[in-house]
Amino acid sequence: MSKKVIQGHSIKKLGIVEGKAVVSPDLVAFWGGTDWESGEIVEVGHKARGKNMAGKILVCPAGKGGAGDTFGFFYLYKSGKAPRAIVCNRGQGTTLAGALLTNTPMVYGFDGDVIDLIEDDDHLCIDSEAGTVTITRRETPERK
Amino acid sequence: MQLDDQEKKMIEGEEGEATRRAMEILVAKGEAEGAKKRVKIVYAHLMPPDTMFFPFGRQGKWARDLTGTLTSDLSRLRVPATMEPKFVDLECCARRMEFSESQIDEMQNIMLPAANLYEKLGVIPSYTALPFVIFPTKLGEHVSVAESIAILWYNTMFGSRCERDDGVTSLAAAITGVYPEIGVHLAHNRYGEVTIRPGKGVDPAAFNYTDWDAYSLAASRKCKEKTPVFLGLPKNLTFTQRKHLLEVIAVESGLAIMHIVGVTPEAPTVEAAFGGKKPIAEFEIHPDDIEEAYRSATTATDPKIKYIFLGCPHVTLPEFRELAKVLDGRKVHPEVTLIVSTNRQFLMIAQDMGYVEPIEKAGGIVAQDMCIAFSGTQASGTIATDSIKAAFFYTGFSSKTTRRVWLGSIAECANAAVTGKWNERR
Repeated sequence: MSKKVIQGHSIKKLGIVEGKAVVSPDLVAFWGGTDWESGEIVEVGHKARGKNMAGKILVCPAGKGGAGDTFGFFYLYKSGKAPRAIVCNRGQGTTLAGALLTNTPMVYGFDGDVIDLIEDDDHLCIDSEAGTVTITRRETPERK
Repeated sequence: MQLDDQEKKMIEGEEGEATRRAMEILVAKGEAEGAKKRVKIVYAHLMPPDTMFFPFGRQGKWARDLTGTLTSDLSRLRVPATMEPKFVDLECCARRMEFSESQIDEMQNIMLPAANLYEKLGVIPSYTALPFVIFPTKLGEHVSVAESIAILWYNTMFGSRCERDDGVTSLAAAITGVYPEIGVHLAHNRYGEVTIRPGKGVDPAAFNYTDWDAYSLAASRKCKEKTPVFLGLPKNLTFTQRKHLLEVIAVESGLAIMHIVGVTPEAPTVEAAFGGKKPIAEFEIHPDDIEEAYRSATTATDPKIKYIFLGCPHVTLPEFRELAKVLDGRKVHPEVTLIVSTNRQFLMIAQDMGYVEPIEKAGGIVAQDMCIAFSGTQASGTIATDSIKAAFFYTGFSSKTTRRVWLGSIAECANAAVTGKWNERR
């Protein structure tokens, strides 16, 4: 078991959220790139294609931000398949607006790249008051 | 980032919940992108989810909820605003495009009340992706626009300042009248970075409108995310030529601004366009780039046409004239549906000029205030269009699509409408 705390900037104070990480090394599109009926990343050629963000904590460099992207995030939330929180490098505008509309905690701007710091299935604890993310990793033989 | 008294009132909820929410989004966006202050905007163009984005089914209801959330206690927008076309013209073509009666019912209950709501909030009912015809702005003025070609037009043609905004952000800006000073709102982010010029064997003076689409696509593939400065284009570029030149690069590149030397206000000279710096790359568009643009938008092999969709963006007066000329006295093939999409402004003048009658007499459908690119994605079969932007919408969107597309000029599309068959061009 290893534990690490990283400090970022929280978009809004929405308490503490915990969950498992799902990591996308590529930018995430919520309109078109993610199936809002399932929460699965469906974009062709995307490095996280097939991964599902529903009920997890989405870790990505940023959102992609097309004109309908905020709608996409809102629909994902309406269908009950949105991530519980978002941890990213850059607070891209449309993802930020989508998170604010749905009261989804979002923390961005860390010292270091979240894609290097966090792995799939790490346990994350987001403190949206303090802007911190606590990363807990279970060291198992098959995950070296 | 300092808030002034008015902005403080907004974010503390003194101006209502919708305004508080809008201000919250803009402040957070400004913080994330390092804005030092906000600027006042003079105009906004909206892209409401419940009028344009597939206003039926589950997402139609969610779209209505989203508008409800964003506008809850709002009585009026703070700046003049226009909005995108509606999804489809229910009266004249929804059935011909194979929408079911239940979908039409749902659209009647979602799309039309939404349009009324936005009009009540102060939106000018122009319903077009070419809103710059209705609300031109001035050099240096700040605006917020959620429509790719319009964003590019306000920045490029008027020298106004506008980021690539989404539907929620542009509404937030219209509600509050402000926008964080980021991106191309700042002068130093507006300069050109690369040049694009016609190579040997490419003569823009001889282009038809669809050739401009191809030039636009070829240019976007060269410049990618770098602000292009176009050289060697005719100084007397018409409105319709500009529409086609901007249309494809606007969706393909993700750019907010480009320059055309000798044509656009921030590019009187090459030096001015680059802000005194040197271009980081110089590109030429060659005949094979144009060919490749046509090829990549053409996915059909079967010459038998089911639909002809024209008007992405909306058909202009010279395009109406060209279409009317080819269709005059002829009949659209009984197995072909020809839909010509425009807006109420252009339609009224086209009618007065006698361009609409020959099209309708031939059996073509002239639709108004709708988005043929979005609604066309629900059709099945082989489609012909004059627009590369629309062609990409028709073949994209779904991995299971059965739609195939022919791309050609208005005259080629009109001839195919009559014969029912596509004549391959090259």
